[in-house]
Amino acid sequence: MKTTTLLGSAALALLLGAGSALAQSAIRIGHLADYSGGTSDVGTPFGQAVADTFAWINKNGGINGTKVDIETVDYGYQVPRAVAQYKKWTGSDKVAAIMGWGTADTEALTGFVAQDKIPFLSGSYAGQLTDPTGEAGKSKAAPYNFFYGPSYSDALRAELTWAAEDWKAKGKSGAPKFVHMGANHPYPNSPKAAGEAIAKELGFEVLPPLVFALTPGDYSAQCLSLKSSGANYAYLGNTAASNISVIKACKTAGVDVQFLGNVWGMDENAAKTAGTAADGVVFPLRTPVVWGADVPGMKTVVDISKISDPSGNAYRPVHYIAGVCSAMYMKEALEWAAKNGGVTGENVRKAFYQKKGWVPTGMEGVCNPSTWTDKDHRGTLTVDLYRSRVSGSTDGDLSALMKSGAIKLEKVKTIELPRKPEWLGW
Amino acid sequence: MAGTTSLIPAGDFRTSYAADTTIFPTVTSRNFAIAGIVLAACAPLILSDYWMSLLIAIGIYGIAALGLNVLLGFTGQISIGHAAFFLFGAFTSAYLSSKMAVPTFFAIPLAGVVTAMVGLVFGLPAARLKGLYLAIATLAAQYILLDFFARAEWFSGGSVPASAEPFSIFGYTLTGDHQYFYVVLAYVVISFLLVTNLMRTRDGRALIAVRDHYLSAEIMGINLTKYRTLSFGIAAFFAGIGGALYAHYQLVVSYEGFGIERSILFLAMVIIGGLGSIMGTLMGTAFVVLLPEAMEWLSALLRGGVIDQALGLKNNITFLREIAIGVIIIIFLVFEPDGLAHRWHQIKAYWKLYPFSH
Repeated sequence: MKTTTLLGSAALALLLGAGSALAQSAIRIGHLADYSGGTSDVGTPFGQAVADTFAWINKNGGINGTKVDIETVDYGYQVPRAVAQYKKWTGSDKVAAIMGWGTADTEALTGFVAQDKIPFLSGSYAGQLTDPTGEAGKSKAAPYNFFYGPSYSDALRAELTWAAEDWKAKGKSGAPKFVHMGANHPYPNSPKAAGEAIAKELGFEVLPPLVFALTPGDYSAQCLSLKSSGANYAYLGNTAASNISVIKACKTAGVDVQFLGNVWGMDENAAKTAGTAADGVVFPLRTPVVWGADVPGMKTVVDISKISDPSGNAYRPVHYIAGVCSAMYMKEALEWAAKNGGVTGENVRKAFYQKKGWVPTGMEGVCNPSTWTDKDHRGTLTVDLYRSRVSGSTDGDLSALMKSGAIKLEKVKTIELPRKPEWLGW
Repeated sequence: MAGTTSLIPAGDFRTSYAADTTIFPTVTSRNFAIAGIVLAACAPLILSDYWMSLLIAIGIYGIAALGLNVLLGFTGQISIGHAAFFLFGAFTSAYLSSKMAVPTFFAIPLAGVVTAMVGLVFGLPAARLKGLYLAIATLAAQYILLDFFARAEWFSGGSVPASAEPFSIFGYTLTGDHQYFYVVLAYVVISFLLVTNLMRTRDGRALIAVRDHYLSAEIMGINLTKYRTLSFGIAAFFAGIGGALYAHYQLVVSYEGFGIERSILFLAMVIIGGLGSIMGTLMGTAFVVLLPEAMEWLSALLRGGVIDQALGLKNNITFLREIAIGVIIIIFLVFEPDGLAHRWHQIKAYWKLYPFSH
């Protein structure tokens, strides 16, 4: 009796010990996703990509042999929920890093992540997140905020650079007119100052901005103002659903303008919803290629995609590929940290500064080479501009539409922006 | 409010007006209140960051909801722009502390005062409007203020979130939830005492008179314009205090997430807690803050479980979670139209009279 009790407790102690040892060995990271909230249209492919990539990493040996314990939480784009979840992750068993999502959670947590020293790789590309020291003086220091891709401001700078060339190439005379369109909200307003500043430099006439809400609605009035203003290039600052309303309304109103989309404002799904109205919209991508491109890295992306789609038939929109890139950078940062003093927030941050022109292994041709330094968190200044081409009806399955060519994304140009110090932080 | 059972023992008569307006009707109730505060003060010793952040949220939103309860529950006016005042307080305190170098200790009450001024301005229509018309007028406040935040970059930072200094006192900076909790707790105690006291004064009674029958109140010589506007000022004051506490907790303030839906949430806190009940406000806020967390916990249990696999729910769980939150609030209002405060009173009366209640 006594022996069995002793043995039993010994076994229990061993089990507990083993359990805690296991718990310690897995690398904990948090993942905020929006599958159900206001940004779920683009949040779903991006979040799915992050979840798939880490599942794929675990299947293929983890981080130097250690599994990643990633907790994906759908916070529904609600600030209080993101904060509560963050507090759960930063309690006694701290996460090493967080894969974040949009403007809402990123802004609410900027102060906390700097205080708690937890790298936060967001899907928000606001310019103020690129200044880790605050020395640029445009905003407060954001030393633990990272993202993969050009900032919203840099994307618009690239679009306007292209627009100026486009104007000349078309042989038109006079100064082209540029207008910024979007809601009075941090997300559409984020690149506004940067866009209007470079537009002036490039010789555009900058018209007063046009406001339309973040939600879909009737924007005929805005389109009539757009028409009467005689704008040649219009930036659509909102997210897809609202942009589609404007594009459709403007097509009905017969507005002749080149729309410039934003990185979350146009993709294959949006083109499908907007139909032929989306034809010709120019928008920035974070990757040089789209799904199915013939580059070495696409094989890895296809492999990762099979995690949630074993059949391999699904068409993955541009946000999925960008999500894979983001997660792959985090993977290699975790690997470096594990080898150099342990996976802590501070080491993961340092890991991001280790390489120049960094492309994660296996992602060649898919992720743009990125360089982060402790003074400059603009990972990449390469902006790949694409144009959506919609010919004919867009009813039916997206993958079939992409295959038949009813919807096409054609590359316009790759703009390499100079790394100007005066552009840091806004 | 109607139908409350008195807990004062039989034979215990009040012999003065002062005794009649005492905050705590019995010694036990006073002791319980003190014990509650002491217990709350001990919470950081045992609770994790997560729980502390929830308590802080309850405290911060509770103060703002208290202001709304003065307006809605005690004066019978409505405001669906409360979130905008909350945000105004947050931006003001952030502005004062980071741009004007006002110590945070003073910035918080100052933000409350400035927000109260703004509240007085937006309360002016209340002198003329009632009911739904007033609701629409306050809706305008919500949009005007939000638009102001979007344009006034010097004040709110525009698209860049405004930064607020961490709370410090006598040169010592409080960091982390466990320390900041005491700031919030202090403000909760002070705010709730202030409002409880307000309701015992001439002005407080005037507010209630305006609510119960504005015509009678006016005939009795109560200046309706003054008290209706004042009520807006008080509501905005507490919204501003709550917002300022929020700013120094988060360290950044962004106007993202403070739309009309947040204003409605404040209304929900007050209605669920109980209109015209001071303690009910805190209960209602706790309910609104904790319900999504409880549902998140439930959905985490459900995820990957037998039911999930059988029904193939996957990501739909989050939609179910949102639906469940809505359904619970509806059910709650059907069965508890008088709010949590009323139910709490009934529970107390039950145990007080046990086993002879009927």
